[in-house]
Amino acid sequence: MTREQVFYRVQEIFRDVFDDDELMITGETNADDIEDWDSLEHITLIVAMEKEFHMKFDIREVNKLENVGEMIDLIEHRLREK
Amino acid sequence: MNHYKYEEIEVGHTESFTVTVTEEAQNRFCEITGDVNPLHCDLVYAKELGYNQCVVFGMLTASYLSALAGVYLPGERSLLHSVRTKFSKPVYAGDTLTVEGTVAEKNDTFNLLIVKAVIRNQDGVKVCKAELQVGVRP
Repeated sequence: MTREQVFYRVQEIFRDVFDDDELMITGETNADDIEDWDSLEHITLIVAMEKEFHMKFDIREVNKLENVGEMIDLIEHRLREK
Repeated sequence: MNHYKYEEIEVGHTESFTVTVTEEAQNRFCEITGDVNPLHCDLVYAKELGYNQCVVFGMLTASYLSALAGVYLPGERSLLHSVRTKFSKPVYAGDTLTVEGTVAEKNDTFNLLIVKAVIRNQDGVKVCKAELQVGVRP
């Protein structure tokens, strides 16, 4: 799976979680850019990503994520491990 | 009160309890929330709409979901994240409700439970259904 494919699927998750079909994210997008991205929605996002990509994250690495780009880095890292 | 740890709970685990909704609870809910809608407080108004009695506040019925998580599943270690609920049928003061929750899913990353809940009245009629996201504190 290419980074673009991962990015597209992550964007769809964001649109679904935040109920906004036109939401556009970038690698730099972080919680300051999306009003509803609070700690509970962060959990919802990560759980949705675990399901979408069939992987499990470690709570410590999830808590370190600063933006969407780092999320995608982590997903790509996990996909390479498979 | 239950004291389940996250590791002790498996998918399919079910807990339930019964509670009778009293007129006093209905009046106190009205007082606390300020919801004075006549469907819930005015018997004549409720009867005009075809109900036998004042309808219990849906959110009062749903409030028992708080006890489901905080007292029963998982109990003491509960941290309620979200509740999605639907009110299927009216509840009246005097109804005895059975509140039942079953763990449908677990997420080990966040020690999170997805609990499907159903509330039935004394006749077995489903009056409310819900999905709860409940964290389990260490």
